Amino acid sequence: MLGIDRRLVQNFDWPLFGLILTIVGVGVVNLASATHDDRWISPELYRQLLAISLGGVGMLVVVAIDYRHFERLAIPIFLVSLALLVATLIFAPVTRGSRSWLFGGSLQPSEVAKLALILMLARFFHRNPARDMHALPSLLQLGMIIVLPVGLIVMQGDAGMALLTLFIACTFLVFVRIPWGAWLGIALTGVLGLVTLWMFALAPYQRSRILDVIDPGRDPLASGYQAIQSRIAVGSGGLLGSGYMEGTQTQLRFLPTQHTDFAFSVLGEEWGFVGSTFVLMLYVALMLWGLMVARSAKDGFGGLLAVGVVAVIFWPATLNIAMVLGLAPVIGVALPLLSYGGSAIVITLVSLGLLLNVSMRRYVF
Amino acid sequence: MIGGLGQAGRLGNGSEAMVERRVPILAVAVFVVFGIFVARLFQLQIIESADLRQRSQRNSVRTEILEAPRGDIFDRSGRLLATTRPAFGVKVLPVDLSEREMTLSAVGELLDANPVELDERVGKPVGRQRFQAVYLEDDAPYDRLARVESHLYALPGVMTDIRPRRDYVGGERAAHLLGLIGEIDADELAKPDFAGYRRGEVIGKAGVETLMEPHLRGHAGGRNVVVDVAGRSIEVIDEVLPLPGGSVTLTIDLDLQEVAEEAFLPDVLGEPARMGAVVALDPRNGDVLAMVSKPSFDPNDFAGGVDDETWERLTGDRWRPIQNRAISGQYAPGSTYKAIVGAAALETGVIDETEKIYCPGSFTLGRRTYRCWKREGHGDVDMHDALKKSCDVYFYQVGLRLGIDRIAEFAAGFNLGRRTGIPLHNEQPGLNPTSAWKERRFAEVWMKGETVSASIGQSFNLVTPMQLAVAFGALATGRVVVPRILLHTTEMDGRLRAGPDPRFTGHIPVSPENLAIIRAGLEAVVQETGGTGGRARVPGVRVVGKTGTSQVVGLEHTDGLEDDEVAIQHRDHAWFASYAPAEDPEIVVVALVEHGGGGGSTAAPVAQKVLARYFEKRSLEESENPNSSPDIRQVEGSGDEAWEEAVDEEPSFELRARPPWLERLPEVSFAGD
Repeated sequence: MLGIDRRLVQNFDWPLFGLILTIVGVGVVNLASATHDDRWISPELYRQLLAISLGGVGMLVVVAIDYRHFERLAIPIFLVSLALLVATLIFAPVTRGSRSWLFGGSLQPSEVAKLALILMLARFFHRNPARDMHALPSLLQLGMIIVLPVGLIVMQGDAGMALLTLFIACTFLVFVRIPWGAWLGIALTGVLGLVTLWMFALAPYQRSRILDVIDPGRDPLASGYQAIQSRIAVGSGGLLGSGYMEGTQTQLRFLPTQHTDFAFSVLGEEWGFVGSTFVLMLYVALMLWGLMVARSAKDGFGGLLAVGVVAVIFWPATLNIAMVLGLAPVIGVALPLLSYGGSAIVITLVSLGLLLNVSMRRYVF
Repeated sequence: MIGGLGQAGRLGNGSEAMVERRVPILAVAVFVVFGIFVARLFQLQIIESADLRQRSQRNSVRTEILEAPRGDIFDRSGRLLATTRPAFGVKVLPVDLSEREMTLSAVGELLDANPVELDERVGKPVGRQRFQAVYLEDDAPYDRLARVESHLYALPGVMTDIRPRRDYVGGERAAHLLGLIGEIDADELAKPDFAGYRRGEVIGKAGVETLMEPHLRGHAGGRNVVVDVAGRSIEVIDEVLPLPGGSVTLTIDLDLQEVAEEAFLPDVLGEPARMGAVVALDPRNGDVLAMVSKPSFDPNDFAGGVDDETWERLTGDRWRPIQNRAISGQYAPGSTYKAIVGAAALETGVIDETEKIYCPGSFTLGRRTYRCWKREGHGDVDMHDALKKSCDVYFYQVGLRLGIDRIAEFAAGFNLGRRTGIPLHNEQPGLNPTSAWKERRFAEVWMKGETVSASIGQSFNLVTPMQLAVAFGALATGRVVVPRILLHTTEMDGRLRAGPDPRFTGHIPVSPENLAIIRAGLEAVVQETGGTGGRARVPGVRVVGKTGTSQVVGLEHTDGLEDDEVAIQHRDHAWFASYAPAEDPEIVVVALVEHGGGGGSTAAPVAQKVLARYFEKRSLEESENPNSSPDIRQVEGSGDEAWEEAVDEEPSFELRARPPWLERLPEVSFAGD
């Protein structure tokens, strides 16, 4: 099962690997600026480099295991991830209003849950061809797969992560063949759900964050502060940026959480339109490559798994960048591969390991 | 590289086919979303960039004001009265106070302050206030600052600064003349006079500080500093140093001022310090040589923002130390008024030099009896004797012959009842009553008995010490002078500008012959045996003067009591008004001692000290420099012409590396400089 075929090495997806390395490299360079102080290397940078190494090892391990084994392992992994989520609810201390870290803050089970969920969904859609979708038992099964982890994450109080997980799961709906009327029904339910959420489930601060997107000047010193400072940072970058480690917004710490959620504004300020567009292109290239891997996969499971990995990149990237650019409310979603965050980078690299895995085994059977 | 896939087995309805068919939808979604992002980046970074960059700068660049030191104030011989000195501040930025207890107790030790008090001063700031520096000490002595400076590296969050602070070098000396400073208030900010002033700026609030405000103020400098989100200065981008204000030279003579102020100190230990006022004036040009008001205050208490306790003490004091009695205190002139009533009587012819009036010690009008101050009476007295001995009965009768309105007419000729025009705030006009005035004021007819009181300055009449000085100056020279306090000014660029020319509002309506009779009578007051003002004698100088005692309360409060049994606030005010030398008057001195009792006994010695000092100085200067008269003003002429010739064509100022008020100090080294 761990046998390394010579053909596998030949077929290793070097361009994809290079792309991943490039984005991670940009992230490290950017983090160095965002956390720059008098020290030669900031503690954040040091921990991020450690996490990247760990993630790199994880990625190589995952690459080595034929992805088809994961189809069988999907259910145990999924159950373990649910157990971790439950454990978090019981044992984890409350930090910043939510209960989402285990083992003294070194593990974020909701990150693991994302990975488990795409494995589980890929397995499900592979085993349930589209034409069987109308059957109630399989719909119920699908519902359980999605609702269980999302529900547990909501219970942790991490709204951003819950929404993200839900979006990732919903990506798989493109593979469901149902009548247009049903789509309409889903859309309506979604709208009603959002209204209910707004009226009953959202905390006042969450509501005001949404209002801030519509009118950022509403409350410039409180809830709108981050949104405004982020836009100022990005905008003041101009065409070519203020230069590496020269951004005043960044270096004078006007940006809150600039090394995590607002990493992209640092990039925008210091590298300008040219630099930030280049980074956006890197992400587009990564995701399109992933989708091509999905199409060329040897089997359905591989293809679905590749789509899941792309979704794991796409949704947080989209929500994060939209937030930084003032197009979406301020929700705590990090930019994959670029933001500071140990669990996130490890899980993202492991997920990309799955993508490399599917890619290099497209000819092997 | 993806080409060449075997398609055969993958068509159909399996999951592979589904992926094959639906993945392009996802690719389109990626393109659409990231296309929107690129468009948004274009909007923010290209279209709105200039605007957002400006906001970024406003975020991080703060403009700090560098206060300009106020100009110096000198006495007429160039001795410093008020200047600006550096005040050393020690402050903390609460957000940086990482080891609060340790740091505050260390600073407490270095500053000799109680750490608990320092802790209370810092308090528990929250939110943005944590970024607001709190002063632990705003005026530390230099050696303590140096101690803090040398330990700064071990005191996180502690900072020091230097700011200019007004320094009145003489403390209470000439406090009322110099005035005081304070923060501009909202009402003042709204006035056009204060256009261009900032909130929190310090302005003159009284005295010369107010009068010369625009001149003394200087030009504030400023600097743009890059600050981080906590407001900490990171880097100075540019800096314009402040330009100190111009200086002012006053007409005041510090020696005379000193002597006059010290005359109010108690002679005997345990005796209460006296209250009152002294004005010394040059009647030839109006120069105010001394202006004293007691009790006084220390304007330094206001220089750094007055604390509540001091403010309460000063404003709550029943003796009102803030009031400038020399120009705002209004008192009945008492017998000093007889000089004017006498002049009026001679001039109108109601009596002549030779006519004698018998004084039995009292005078009865209708059912009321008016006493002379000398109960046994003066016997037959003429004008000369009446002035010399200050006979009340003589003046009761003369006053009745004149009537109140003629007295008032002559008093007005001596400028009584009108402000003297000294350029200071809060000057009071006094009161020169007429029958018409009483009708207007009380809707009552003027009573003859009131004329009797008025003729010895004891009715409704009110004068300020300054007014009486101007009136006696008019007796001395025949002209009513407008007092002036400004000798010359030095502009910020170093040019001298003369003060205002001497100004006279008119001649007194008394003929030289009659004036001579009055002057002779007043000289006898001091110089002749039996005169009431013998205590004002200055050896070798012919002093002319008049004593006065102004009753504060009705006789019922004091009758039957010995002098020292009368409550202080019920005792009479003592006046002495004088000029000298008789042959060519150079100086007028008016002394008022509140509740001092008799004018001859308490006020005359005060005036005497000032006169003696003046003539002592003059003879000293004459022996040193026999060709120059001491009273020639240091600056002659007015306007720019006289002075523009005397100074360089080029403006002699430039921005200096260190403001001059800092140069008086040893070099201060700062950590991080």
